[in-house]
Amino acid sequence: MSALNSPLEAVEARYLDVDPVYAETRDIRLLGFVMALGADCVLFSSFIFAYLYLRTASPAWPPFVGGHQLPRLDTAFAALNSMVLFGSGVTMHYALENWKHLKKQAFNGWLAATIVLGILFLLGQGHEYLSAQMTWQGSSFGASFFTLTGMHGFHVLVGVCYLIVLMIQSNRGVYTGSKYFGLTAGTLYWHFVDVIWVFLFFLFYLW
Amino acid sequence: MHATPVVHTDHSDHIHPPPEGFIRKYVFSTDHKVIAFQYLAVGIFFLMIAGSFAELIRVQLWNPKGTFLSFSTYNEMFTMHGTVGVWLVVIPLVTGALGNFIMPLQIGARDVAFPWLNMLSFWLFPVAGLILFSSFIFGLPSAGWTEYPPISLQYVGTAFWCLAIITIGISSTLTGLNFTATVVKMRAPGMTWTRMPLFTWATFATALVNMIATVALSAALLALFLDTVFHVPFFEADKGGAPVMYQHMFWFYSHPAVYIFILPAFGVISEVLPVFCRRTIFGYKMIAFSSLAIAILGFAVWAHHMFPSGIAPWLQLPFMIVTYAIGIPTGLKVFSWLATLWGGRIQFSTPMLYALAFLITFTFGGITGIFLAAVPADLHEHGSYFVVGHFHYVVAGGSVIGFLAAVTFWFPKATGRMLHEGLGKLGFWLFVIGLTGTFLPMHWLGLEGLPRRYASYEYFLARYPDVVFWNRVETVSSFFMAASVAILVINMIWSIRRGRASGINPWGARTLEWTISSPPPYYNFKKIPTVFGRPYDYSEPLPYRNLDNDVDAYPAPMPAPRPNPSLGGR
Amino acid sequence: MADQLTGTKPQVIEPKGMGPGFWPVMIALTVVNLVIAYIILFTPLDWLLPAEWNPVADRAADIDLLFKFMGVFGLAILVYVTGFVFYAAFAFRRRPEEPANSVGVHLHDLPKLEFWWTVIPTILLTVLVALTIQIWHRIQFGTAASALTTEVIAHQFNFEIRYPGWQGSVFTPPDEMHLPVGKPVRLLITSGDVIHQYWVPEFRLKAAAVPGLVQNLNFMPTRTGTFDIACSEYCGINHSKMQGKVVVESPQAFEKWLAGAKAHVRTGPVAVAKGDAGAGKALFAQKCAVCHAMGPFDQKIVGPGLLKITDDPKHPKLVDGKPPTPANIANILQNGYTGPIGAMPNRQANGLSDKDIANLVSYLVSLK
Repeated sequence: MSALNSPLEAVEARYLDVDPVYAETRDIRLLGFVMALGADCVLFSSFIFAYLYLRTASPAWPPFVGGHQLPRLDTAFAALNSMVLFGSGVTMHYALENWKHLKKQAFNGWLAATIVLGILFLLGQGHEYLSAQMTWQGSSFGASFFTLTGMHGFHVLVGVCYLIVLMIQSNRGVYTGSKYFGLTAGTLYWHFVDVIWVFLFFLFYLW
Repeated sequence: MHATPVVHTDHSDHIHPPPEGFIRKYVFSTDHKVIAFQYLAVGIFFLMIAGSFAELIRVQLWNPKGTFLSFSTYNEMFTMHGTVGVWLVVIPLVTGALGNFIMPLQIGARDVAFPWLNMLSFWLFPVAGLILFSSFIFGLPSAGWTEYPPISLQYVGTAFWCLAIITIGISSTLTGLNFTATVVKMRAPGMTWTRMPLFTWATFATALVNMIATVALSAALLALFLDTVFHVPFFEADKGGAPVMYQHMFWFYSHPAVYIFILPAFGVISEVLPVFCRRTIFGYKMIAFSSLAIAILGFAVWAHHMFPSGIAPWLQLPFMIVTYAIGIPTGLKVFSWLATLWGGRIQFSTPMLYALAFLITFTFGGITGIFLAAVPADLHEHGSYFVVGHFHYVVAGGSVIGFLAAVTFWFPKATGRMLHEGLGKLGFWLFVIGLTGTFLPMHWLGLEGLPRRYASYEYFLARYPDVVFWNRVETVSSFFMAASVAILVINMIWSIRRGRASGINPWGARTLEWTISSPPPYYNFKKIPTVFGRPYDYSEPLPYRNLDNDVDAYPAPMPAPRPNPSLGGR
Repeated sequence: MADQLTGTKPQVIEPKGMGPGFWPVMIALTVVNLVIAYIILFTPLDWLLPAEWNPVADRAADIDLLFKFMGVFGLAILVYVTGFVFYAAFAFRRRPEEPANSVGVHLHDLPKLEFWWTVIPTILLTVLVALTIQIWHRIQFGTAASALTTEVIAHQFNFEIRYPGWQGSVFTPPDEMHLPVGKPVRLLITSGDVIHQYWVPEFRLKAAAVPGLVQNLNFMPTRTGTFDIACSEYCGINHSKMQGKVVVESPQAFEKWLAGAKAHVRTGPVAVAKGDAGAGKALFAQKCAVCHAMGPFDQKIVGPGLLKITDDPKHPKLVDGKPPTPANIANILQNGYTGPIGAMPNRQANGLSDKDIANLVSYLVSLK
């Protein structure tokens, strides 16, 4: 085998040697998946636009409802929950790395950690929703907050389900050391969910 | 960047076995050609519905009192005509039917990038229609195809409308994604970007717009749905919401949507003109790149639909300037097409007649667009019949005429039969005369002060008594267009059985789809051809190697049918 | 195979010069364009634009100039394009005697031509942009500060008109608005329910009436007469029946009318019976919350917040300068209010009965 510059190249060379057709389809599927994530970005961007519009058009923020100004959100708790989510991004990265190096045990561990952290994040969001002072219907604050974080939470939920499916599939031998597009897609999706949260955390808690 | 090992196979071992059984072949098929037919059939069905609603509108407007329909039914009719027309007719037909059938063949591919997703995209289409019409129990949506809140918040139909359009929106987004991946990754060897046929360029630009813009519409409609059903106050002023925000979110998609309508039609014209002028297209690069320029600029003009609507005055200026600017790449295309006519050897088959008409009707629609771009003029024209005239000229006189040109041009490839030329020409004249009579008077009625979406224009009689005459001219002319569509449908049904056999290349065209049999085999290409030049140069041999069939290097059109002596001809 | 050159090599047929009869056709088209330009610039276009050549508002004259400029150049482009299409269809048609394999000229590009047909339209468009911006600026910012301020509040399905300096609104059908000729006017336009659009075609004036925001329209009427107001944004079932009238008259006639209209509006304190605060609260949410927040005075939507209407140390009096007694609150509900802070519809516009007013007053007074 010729000398190659990175572990990834070694992997690519492996599957190209093994299956040139797979290489082509993987490229197309990766392009398609990345474009789908791009489209999902537009979805979040549209609602972020709505939030920015409503917030800048409002005479006060948080707005007044029933004579009282709504309180700001609990940044400390959300920061903690954010660490949980970003932590799950780190664990997912290691899960995929271990898969590429064919370390299945470690892969399973890191993937399980990701799933647990994802579920913890969702529980944290649940707590945030239950303790929120504003309602979905009551003000533009509630409308934008619950809709945007709700959409994000829904994406996390779908992600957790998909990670569970990946756990099952990888243990059934569906993926090999050289053919694991589902895992790549799952990792990309999970990181995407993290990046969206960075924006939402900034927009609702820090600003 | 390391050297990626280059993989060349001739792919002939990657032809999957043919689908078996009626369901796999015709119902749940992943074959882009079958899916294209399905889009065509369902799209034409909805075309007849949208057209019928239009005729009901026109009959209502025969009389200034407007007593044919109740006001609430009339409002439902113009809403559904627009909604069905935009999302269940034009977009599925130009992207789902034309794009699906033609583009993979033009790039030498065996199918699109994600055939199963393509099938899903199609099946979401009739589902969306079902959702939309099921609102009938509560009252069809009736606040216009734009469904602005707060008025739209008052109707249950709005919720169904949102769900239906979100569904077709998902279909559109997936199609856009599919086509983009297909054009980027699946072109035949040697087909560089600047050797691609212009319809493929157009489909690519359209797919980009589709993929990015449609999701923004889904977001706007999701917000409207939540506000209508759950009273989440995005658009209610008393709870901190903003009605004008809906317009921004809606038009951010809906303006690029009109480029989704027209870019494929531009692509069709670019394909048809070289064939029937028997000479190369003029300004290939300009036409290709202007499609991308229009697609991109199209995202920066949405607020020109909102000039009088309550946006800050300073915001009007940049949108006005970019709207003017978009006229430049569009004008370049028209000039290039005119230059293509020059020095040609023109044959007046039906597709060419539609292409020639397009040049005139689309230019007219584009010019009235300039009238609307100027803010001071728009403050007079907005919400009047002038706007209705403008957009019908570009949609009916642009997209629909482009679509008709495409159907009459590619029908032989899809079916192996020629359409009846006499019926085709009759349909053409009926359409063009109908179009002019229906939509031209709208321009002066609008300038004189007639607002749109009026079920009754009684009050206008005192200002402009001729309004009755012109509305009646419009009504009669609209039936000419209806007749034209009926004739086309009859022509297609008749010709599938009784049309003259077309052979591989009846028009003597030069893009790759005209090198395989009509209709193409399910796998399109047994051997993927190699491309070494642009397709349009009629004085050069075909720029392909490794073709499946033994075609002439210099394709010539099939001779016109001679009269049959045994039927009395000489 | 296209590998071997099968099929007959095509015969290229070149046109002589620009084509048969090209220059005469172009000259004829130019003549047509000159005739059209003459008609547009020098004849009255009343058949196309209402009150053209006899403008009713200062901005109408400006806008009509823009229409004419666009008309001349737009129609010129259309005439040339249409003319060329017909010309080419005739001059470059395939003749029956030509061989089957005849093809047209081998012409991909002409960089010089493409350069000019990009540059000239760009220049034309730039001139149009410059002209448009000039007119746009005059329209947006050109009205004198001394403008008469009139409020238009759109409802389903009529236009309520209010004037400054007196309490109450003119709301008698047919909705009628009077303006003095030769004086600058500022219209403040808003809506009480859904989005409507106020349009007077002769003024070339249009603005959307949006609940929750107020739009400005500035102009000066220059000619007397009676003109239509039409709603031009779909607003519900009777959208096509939502029209009004604007009467432009001499300043003396206007003052006379204004005094007379004022007489129709009830002013003065109103005796208030005890009402039901609960019913008032519900009614507030239904009718008042569109414009008034339940919050401090500064929490303005269209009107001020009303939470502390009876005991706000920063605003000890009502907006009309009277103490916040039940009777004075009822007075504002009865007659509406116009002033620097904005415009509030009267009881007719809001559809309030005596009982409603009593309930609302009870509710507002009960707030602390």
